[in-house]
Amino acid sequence: MKKDISSLHVPHNKNTAGCEPVRIATPSEVILPMNMHSGHDAEPIVNVGDHVKVGQLIAREEGRFSSPVHATVSGTVVEIAPIPTASGKETIAIRIESDGKMEVSETVKPPVINDCASFLQAVREGGIVGLGGAAFPTWAKFNEATNPDYKVDTVLINAAECEPYITSDHRMMLAHPDLIADGIEYLRKYMNEYLGNATFKICIETNKADAIEVLKNTFADKDYVVIHELKTIYPQGAKQVMLYNATGRVAVAGRRFPSFGALIINVSSLAKMAEYLNTGMPIVERIVTVDGSAVENPMNLIAPIGTRVSELLKITGLKSNPGKIIIGGPMNGTAIYSVDDPIVKVANAVLAFDEKDAVLPEPSACINCGRCMEKCPVSISVADVARAMTVKDKDKMAKLLIQTGVRQCVDCACCNYVCPANRHLLQINWDAKAFLKKYAAEQKEGGNK
Amino acid sequence: MANLHVSSTPHIHQKGSSTRNIMLDVVIALIPATIAGVVIFGLSALWVILACVASAVLAEYVFNLCCKRKQTIGDLSAVVTGLLLALNLRADVPIWQCVVGSVFAIIVVKCFFGGLGKNIANPAITARVFMLLTFATTVGGGAAPVADLTASASPLVTLNQGAEAASSISLLTLFLGTHAGAIGETCVIALLLGFAYLVIRKVIKWYVPASFVATVFVCYFLFGGFDVVYSLQHVLAGGLLLGAIFMATDYVTTPATNLGRVVFCIGAGLLTFAIRSFGAYPEGVSIAILTMNLLTPFIADWTKNKTLGGVR
Repeated sequence: MKKDISSLHVPHNKNTAGCEPVRIATPSEVILPMNMHSGHDAEPIVNVGDHVKVGQLIAREEGRFSSPVHATVSGTVVEIAPIPTASGKETIAIRIESDGKMEVSETVKPPVINDCASFLQAVREGGIVGLGGAAFPTWAKFNEATNPDYKVDTVLINAAECEPYITSDHRMMLAHPDLIADGIEYLRKYMNEYLGNATFKICIETNKADAIEVLKNTFADKDYVVIHELKTIYPQGAKQVMLYNATGRVAVAGRRFPSFGALIINVSSLAKMAEYLNTGMPIVERIVTVDGSAVENPMNLIAPIGTRVSELLKITGLKSNPGKIIIGGPMNGTAIYSVDDPIVKVANAVLAFDEKDAVLPEPSACINCGRCMEKCPVSISVADVARAMTVKDKDKMAKLLIQTGVRQCVDCACCNYVCPANRHLLQINWDAKAFLKKYAAEQKEGGNK
Repeated sequence: MANLHVSSTPHIHQKGSSTRNIMLDVVIALIPATIAGVVIFGLSALWVILACVASAVLAEYVFNLCCKRKQTIGDLSAVVTGLLLALNLRADVPIWQCVVGSVFAIIVVKCFFGGLGKNIANPAITARVFMLLTFATTVGGGAAPVADLTASASPLVTLNQGAEAASSISLLTLFLGTHAGAIGETCVIALLLGFAYLVIRKVIKWYVPASFVATVFVCYFLFGGFDVVYSLQHVLAGGLLLGAIFMATDYVTTPATNLGRVVFCIGAGLLTFAIRSFGAYPEGVSIAILTMNLLTPFIADWTKNKTLGGVR
């Protein structure tokens, strides 16, 4: 009997679990960045002064992996200009001034699907991306599963929502179990050749008892759907951890996910996909959990993508001046530069922390306590990574880094969270992984000469 | 609105997790043994403790000042070093010798190697061994407890005189600690209280010191004629518990994985038995731990975690 990976109890702070999502009044304007997905930025196809309607395509795919962007309010395009992003780079953003009418575009109608290819095309055109955080284009993920080398027998539907505070997936499951069911049926129907015999495992943490109940009722008569209950432990939602805990299979770094016989998709992505296929309405709005120590009334809000964070905070109210605002969860989310930044497709939460919680203690010397390694879900020798990174000789450094197992890092930040010296261990792991990737590429190049 | 802080993930940190809090927990865990030491050995024990702690902290402060380094006395590690050194000394050690030992521990053993986290040997233990060699007449052996000035020989010495002499030592005396020895090593009950506190606070794993103590016990049981009482006397007399609970669990100078720490402790247990049985000194814990400190990098290399899905 294998032992489940269990890492860490992080305080849940799921204050909004009981909060019915509330639709906000149409914001006066939205800002839609071109990089709301992983891969290449989308390319605007509208001009300043154009009138656009809800669901209308305003930016097309550009490059190999990309995703289109749709207008989320009706109104006039007033600006197409670069804005700073959290990564430090700039991206083009389209600003639309709302006319308040929320007129739906004529192009919004259910896509015509006949086969797998047209299904993937539809998912592609709907701008559906992984809403769990990585924002990987969903069609590309499905497309991988059609590779004849892989035999996918399990579809993991990621409903763990293991990060503190966030309850948007939870509330979505309570409100729209039908969309989850539709999503599963679409996959079974149009990807029958590849997923026809697959088991659909909805992986959900036990702290969402009401959602588990709803899902169990919804799928009571479907033997190919399993509600897989997971312990409420961080990081259950990391795909490698989920794969291991739900199927016992080990994800090896450097291999594509379907090669482990499984596909993984976030539960909200699946529901948004079903919604698009049902109605033709792409991702134009989403549930956002607004919480954090600076927030007066934590709430779940339904807001158009591109709504400024400040608009949401106006509705929930602020107890104090926020010192830090995060889009996403506190373990993996992105800190933003300004309260006027927009919410993006993956913005499952907006967390505003007061000045006291905004700054973490300064890092100090490693005391070799070993907690980083003890709490690492995949048992990386975390403390050795930093030591290896100081080696001068590149070949030796690469060898030492590989020995630490850092390539298996799932980016969960548990090591960093428990470190008594508050060292930036996750950052060091990222540096190490980036180095190894570059090193491997160089080696390959050198070999070809 | 004011400027926002922007930083990399994670944005939260485990509450109460800091080097200072770990050191504070160790200090708290040492309080019962400290009090017991003062009660058993009198006020002179208190002077030794104060001298060691004060000079350790001052030494680190001055060193950081001279080297223009960031001040680190706030992490309380110097307090732990000073306190541990004091508890390893007799109550009648001259104060100037305490100061020399403390300064040696902090400056030579810790700061010269790069400060907390970089030292390869436990500062308190190394300083004690240094003092044992330098001030052999005053540091070796044990001071008599104030209540009973006649029993001046440390029970370890008595134990080594043979089975007959050993029968004169009662287990109750060992538990209460009312016998000759170093300030903090004699009172077993106080040490076990500290042990329980550290385990509850998750600073140490119970099986790490336990493997040290068990190794020593098993050795004496196997080679001492399968005598439970005799083996227990060896475990409880001398510095074994103090060393096992507080020094063999020092994060910095032991391997980082729990498996590595157990290997470390078994090695230290075997060495303790060997030194006590065949060496010139009645006590072997300090030298055993110090030796294992030097082997730590190798043990750490052999006992690394196996990464899930990783290639070794």
